[in-house]
Amino acid sequence: MKISFFEGGDVTATFPSRAIIGRPIRPYRRGVENDILGGVCGGLAIRLGVKERTVRVVFSLLALLSGVGLMLYMLIWLTLPRAGEEQSIATQLVGKRRKLRHILLGLLVIAAIAWFLASLGVPNLGVFTWPLWLSLLAAFGVWKGASPDERRHLEELLKAAPLIGRAASRDKRNFWLRVALGAILVFFGLRILRHFGGAWGFAAPALFGTLVLLVGVLILLAPWWLTTLDDLSGERRARMRVEERANVAAHLHDSVLQTLTLIERSAGDEAAVTRLARNQERELRVWLFDPDRAEAGTATTYGSLLRDLQGEIENDYGVTIELVTVGDCDADERIIALVAAAREAVINAAQWSNAPTVALYGEVGTDSIELFVRDLGRGFDVEAVPSDRRGIALSIDQRMQLHGGTATIKSIIGAGTEVQLTLPRTP
Amino acid sequence: MAQPRVFLVDDHELIRSGIRSELAGSVDIVGEADEVEAAIELISERLPDVVLLDVHMPNGGGLAVLRALNGTCPSVRFLALSVSDASEDVIGIIRAGARGYVTKNISGPDLLDSIYRVAAGDAVFSPRLAGFVLDAFSLEGKTLEAGDVDPDLDLLTPRERQVLRLIARGYSYRDIATELEISTKTVESHVSSVLRKLQLSNRHQLTHWASERHLN
Repeated sequence: MKISFFEGGDVTATFPSRAIIGRPIRPYRRGVENDILGGVCGGLAIRLGVKERTVRVVFSLLALLSGVGLMLYMLIWLTLPRAGEEQSIATQLVGKRRKLRHILLGLLVIAAIAWFLASLGVPNLGVFTWPLWLSLLAAFGVWKGASPDERRHLEELLKAAPLIGRAASRDKRNFWLRVALGAILVFFGLRILRHFGGAWGFAAPALFGTLVLLVGVLILLAPWWLTTLDDLSGERRARMRVEERANVAAHLHDSVLQTLTLIERSAGDEAAVTRLARNQERELRVWLFDPDRAEAGTATTYGSLLRDLQGEIENDYGVTIELVTVGDCDADERIIALVAAAREAVINAAQWSNAPTVALYGEVGTDSIELFVRDLGRGFDVEAVPSDRRGIALSIDQRMQLHGGTATIKSIIGAGTEVQLTLPRTP
Repeated sequence: MAQPRVFLVDDHELIRSGIRSELAGSVDIVGEADEVEAAIELISERLPDVVLLDVHMPNGGGLAVLRALNGTCPSVRFLALSVSDASEDVIGIIRAGARGYVTKNISGPDLLDSIYRVAAGDAVFSPRLAGFVLDAFSLEGKTLEAGDVDPDLDLLTPRERQVLRLIARGYSYRDIATELEISTKTVESHVSSVLRKLQLSNRHQLTHWASERHLN
């Protein structure tokens, strides 16, 4: 993000290389633009005018020492409003009874787990672990009470976390990365345990205890976790439905209703009604079946170029173009030339053949791209066209040859004409 | 050939009356239905030769009718009639047993021709349907693995492909016969065999095609 470095100056610097100095003192708020987790460090860095990294290192060190840093972080996260927001998460939680009840319940559960572990005789429940428990509770509170905006940020964070978010991914690299990381951690964990207790004598019960703890926490917290997720997705689904509906309604109003009005007004003019109806039909089809094209605004593939061509000719010449496409590919300069050549052939058919419909068939094969323009009109003698009137045939031919393609025209007088255009996929 | 006994299934009264007046005198209309349940009941009771079946209706649409009657009345043949252009819908209804697909803006004589064709046991492929089928059987994006493909079932023969491409290019069966120097009957048998492959094949290619389009 770019910000103005000096008041009134036009010098810009890339944030966050350095926090801003010399600004009027702002209230301490959790950072939004420079946050990693909750923006606690980022906000503090802005407030104190020091480098964020410094603040982060201090917090990390504090966290390593008995977890006080972690607890501090979580507490600030809970009680400090986010930049641009009125209330802190804690205030929000107090304001909402239901969520507060959840938190109290969470407190009870954590106390119960602590008691359970203590009664099992698992050591180290003293001064070194209670910050961790409180942090866990605070994290729960943050998840429950976060504003929608922050909630979104947290979800993205979860999704982006390489080992959590992609847990379901079948990506092989991800799998091996996890296995390797897990193995290293297990190895070091065992080493540390052995260092303290010697061999398996201490490690085995501790491992067992940890396992019991993990399973217990999972069993206790799973329903909440699931309902939270469920609430969330339900909410999101409802929102999406509403948006979808509004979109459809807007589209129907903008296009279909307008066209229907136009059709009513020109009820006497058969050609105009047909044209309007065909136009609307095409537009609706693109909207329904080719959303990419509808979104992009301009044609970017072979198929959509042909559909545009169909629309243009139907509008201008009042004939029906039966368009069929098989396969599709991105449109490059050569394909644009191919469609331009086809355009001349189609216009020719629409103008001179007297046939009410023209069949247009485009196929993308493995080796070549083909296009057929066929009408059942009056046809002409290909050989007998005087050379000065061979403009169309010539220009189609030249366009194709220029890009390494070929054009073939077959015509039978009284039975129709077919133009075949072929373009190899590689020039 | 006696007039085929035709049954109409469409939830729009306007469409039904339009078709009725277009077909009047040329076929024997033995009944109509405007919803899935009634259609299933009446068709299995009256056993018409050809059912003109709307693809999009509430409660499952034409697909539900086809699935309910599939196998129970083998003498009844279905011709799908729709405005829908989504290839999934069209291929889906053909795979469920319809013998053809025409769009509702088809002209009266063409519709009549299609009905007679279906009544005679042939398949009716419009250019658009031919395009969809070629797409579905397309060789592109195919990842072949050994033992994955039953070649008899999953691949179109070059001749069948040729016929389909000519249909897609707007050729009538007779034009195709002339172009390929074969008889119209042979063209019809090629088309029927494509239809059979489409209905029987549930393997590789169609699965691939379907999954690409989030079908099934």
